[in-house]
Amino acid sequence: MPRPDPRGRAGTPVLFILLLLMLAAVPSEAADTVSVDVGAVYASNEGTSIDPALGTIRGKLQSMFNYTSYRMLERKRRSLSVGETGEFELPDRRTMRATPLPARGDKVRLLIQISDGSRKLLTTTLGLRRGGMVLVGGPSHKAGVLILIISAE
Amino acid sequence: MDCRTALEKIESKADGLLPREEAAELSGHLAGCPACAAEDDAVSATGTMLRALTAIRAREKAPALDAMWTRVRAGIEETREARRRPSWIARWGWIPAAVALAVMALLFYPAGTDRSPFHPSTFDVAVEDVESDVATVALVDKGEDLPKVIWIIEDAKT
Repeated sequence: MPRPDPRGRAGTPVLFILLLLMLAAVPSEAADTVSVDVGAVYASNEGTSIDPALGTIRGKLQSMFNYTSYRMLERKRRSLSVGETGEFELPDRRTMRATPLPARGDKVRLLIQISDGSRKLLTTTLGLRRGGMVLVGGPSHKAGVLILIISAE
Repeated sequence: MDCRTALEKIESKADGLLPREEAAELSGHLAGCPACAAEDDAVSATGTMLRALTAIRAREKAPALDAMWTRVRAGIEETREARRRPSWIARWGWIPAAVALAVMALLFYPAGTDRSPFHPSTFDVAVEDVESDVATVALVDKGEDLPKVIWIIEDAKT
């Protein structure tokens, strides 16, 4: 009778434990944290180019605003726990701070603060579903304005 | 040589342990002693019969011994082969481990600035409150098909 390879026997539980740990870790991470995604778009009337990185939001921007050019300057994402504040640096030394607040179900509540140095340009609380998006625009930049695309997952 | 010594030599001779000189001396005694000669004949015959019997038994058991040895040899070869050839887990076990590591890296690696284009799943957003210390803020809502816009009108700039 051939005997089973003892090395194979020893490796099997290790693999199962690894997979179980992975499966156990993923849902808790997804439920307790919010992934905040912020894109800074420069909208102007200089040229007519639309940045392909804007994806399906390109048509929305064109139908809502009267600018002819939209270019993504920066895009950053942070995974934040409820109560944890993440800071996003924006063009022209502006900053955005995002803090997930307690929410139920698939809802996400975000406290957003946008500052220009010591000046608080905006403080708002948003309630959105995971995968939802909101735009914050208006701060001047070069010959146009900045439009922030804020989404949460 | 007396008969007692001759009997001891006869047993040694039957066992093949009797030196040549003593065998010649024993032969001389056997030639003149019928009793010892008869004992020598009996012992020699017994040894021959025992050897013949042992040979017969060995021949009878030979097939079984051969089969047993064949099984033992096959078992040894299988064990050697199993040690030489890694099991399928040892050979392919690294694949699920690598996949698990890749998934973990994708899930937990800090995101950079370059990512896939925006593909929002909903524009259903509730703006619970909005305020500004230094600007006028307007909320623009053009329906569910378009994202809500919070527009900052910087005082003295816009």
